[in-house]
Amino acid sequence: MAEFLTAKELAIKVSICLAVLVVVMCLCTLVGTQKVSVAKVFAGPGQVPGENIDYEILVRVRLPRVILAALVGAALACSGVVLQAILRNPLADPYILGISSGAGLGVMIAFLSGVTQNFLGGSPIGIFAFAGALITVWLVWYIGHFTGKSQVTSLLLAGVVINAFLSAIIMFLTSVVKSEQVYSTIFWLMGNITEKYSPVLWVSAGCILAGIIVLFALCHRLNVLALGQEEAKGLGVDAARTRIVAFACAAFVTAIAVSLSGLIGFVGLIIPHGVRLTFGPDHRQLLPLSAIIGAGFLVISDTIARIIFAPAQLPVGVITAIAGGPFFLILLAKYSRKVSWLK
Amino acid sequence: MLIILCLSGVGFVIFVTQQAQAPGPSPPPNNPDRIVSLAPSLTEILFALGLDDKIVGVTLNSDYPPAAEKKTKVGTFWQPDTEAVIAAKPDLVVTLQIEQQKRVADSLNRLGYRVLTLKIEKIEELFAAIQKIGTATGCKQRAGELIENISAQLQYLKTKYSSPSKPKVLWVIQTEPLRVAGRNTFINELIELLDGENAIGPTIQQYPPIGTEELLACNVEVIIQSAMGKTDIGRQQQQAEVFWSKWASLPAVKNKKIYVVNSDTVLRLGPRLPQGVEMVGRCLHPDTSTKSSETTRRIR
Repeated sequence: MAEFLTAKELAIKVSICLAVLVVVMCLCTLVGTQKVSVAKVFAGPGQVPGENIDYEILVRVRLPRVILAALVGAALACSGVVLQAILRNPLADPYILGISSGAGLGVMIAFLSGVTQNFLGGSPIGIFAFAGALITVWLVWYIGHFTGKSQVTSLLLAGVVINAFLSAIIMFLTSVVKSEQVYSTIFWLMGNITEKYSPVLWVSAGCILAGIIVLFALCHRLNVLALGQEEAKGLGVDAARTRIVAFACAAFVTAIAVSLSGLIGFVGLIIPHGVRLTFGPDHRQLLPLSAIIGAGFLVISDTIARIIFAPAQLPVGVITAIAGGPFFLILLAKYSRKVSWLK
Repeated sequence: MLIILCLSGVGFVIFVTQQAQAPGPSPPPNNPDRIVSLAPSLTEILFALGLDDKIVGVTLNSDYPPAAEKKTKVGTFWQPDTEAVIAAKPDLVVTLQIEQQKRVADSLNRLGYRVLTLKIEKIEELFAAIQKIGTATGCKQRAGELIENISAQLQYLKTKYSSPSKPKVLWVIQTEPLRVAGRNTFINELIELLDGENAIGPTIQQYPPIGTEELLACNVEVIIQSAMGKTDIGRQQQQAEVFWSKWASLPAVKNKKIYVVNSDTVLRLGPRLPQGVEMVGRCLHPDTSTKSSETTRRIR
């Protein structure tokens, strides 16, 4: 390690970022297509719907949406960090190992089978997406594992091929299904943050936070892993074991994020790189800071998506790509001389 | 560790769903004063039922009747804005049964709002939808009259345009790649109502993409193309004629029976349906259309 990171330093950095995130979330909650009086919100929900619309809009529509954006942002950014580390590939993002197409296929099947019944409060779309993502990731892992010694390369190749294969199936189904279902699928594929049933939101929040905590516990090993497989062995870290646990956790949080909001691109790629370029590559710091900054980034993007063409709404994926791309290039130009992505 | 997390998650979900099944608020009486419509066709139905003053929110795409354009906008048909719907303080929200609207309908339902979800994909379903809206808004009688009126006009148009010739019709949705309305669509219903025949046989897809070979083999006699946007139909007509001229052997091209139509009245499947049918009828049987077209004006 070039610089030694003390626990105190880390705690200070994380708490500053957390404080900023909370402020951003509060501000974004106050911004929306409708003007809301905060004073009225404190009066409580009222007896019948429509009695206190300020409360309903702020607390029951906008706040859950902001929280959802934060969760998804954190999940995608973390997953990006971990996959870039274990695949030793700067282009890795949460969707690289087939999660996107697997989830997409799941959604397509949900539309085709015509299941509209909500299951345990979650929409069938989300559940099918979750199942599709996990099955695909397992398949990719199995094939990658099965095919040989240089596990990382075969894993990547398996991911790319399965992605392409499933995308083809999605395209095939697209030409078969009803046109408005295609339209709905396209909207889903672009990534959308919408209001969720709150228990679904809280359960997902619990799972995502738990996943992030497990990943954080692995950070030290990820640092060692970044040195290379042989070196890791020499330092007493079981590379294969670390990789499988990290991979499973990353896949799990990504699958949840995807099932909540569809495919939101760019967050999992640019946030880890941006944080790495700005703060350095130590995973103990990179992971929590990426999670927090990813959350903030998606909250802001979603707020822009909500209000920029109000009352029409944009898919948030459009904003993340448009805003994220140039911003990332600036960071790259500014810092790339100082830091390489792997030490 | 993951397993424990999953298990706890599942436990929590079960706990929560039990809570969620608690009875919702009792439905309000059947005379809503503030109605929000999330689809242009639903807006047209509400206006046709004379509920003009009670409509407090429509989607951006609701442009008919002109009074609809002055109503508060609550997002687009594909992405309604839940906040804006709530801010309109509705006591009834009318939505279409499609995935994009289902999400909004679900969250409004959870907040205790009264939501009416309708499926309108066939002519029969249009009548059922008008009936349901009439019941939900306390103007059952008007709804009955409206249905009566529409079906009488459709019946009239059916007789007016009945013909033994049965022209083969191709309804083009987009040209590149070529995509047409198949048999399992309400467009097909209209074509058959007007004594035409869909030039394309049964397909798996509702709106199948078709290749040149199939096109040349289908001997199409009338080509109807939905206009993109509302402006400059004349120009689109010219472009369409240029596009189709490469298949000069098609009877429709030979006889210059290519029509670009403003398809809102047809594709929207609302109370203006008879106007749409009249328009399609004129394309199918130009000789009969010189007869009076007064009937369509009777509809509001």
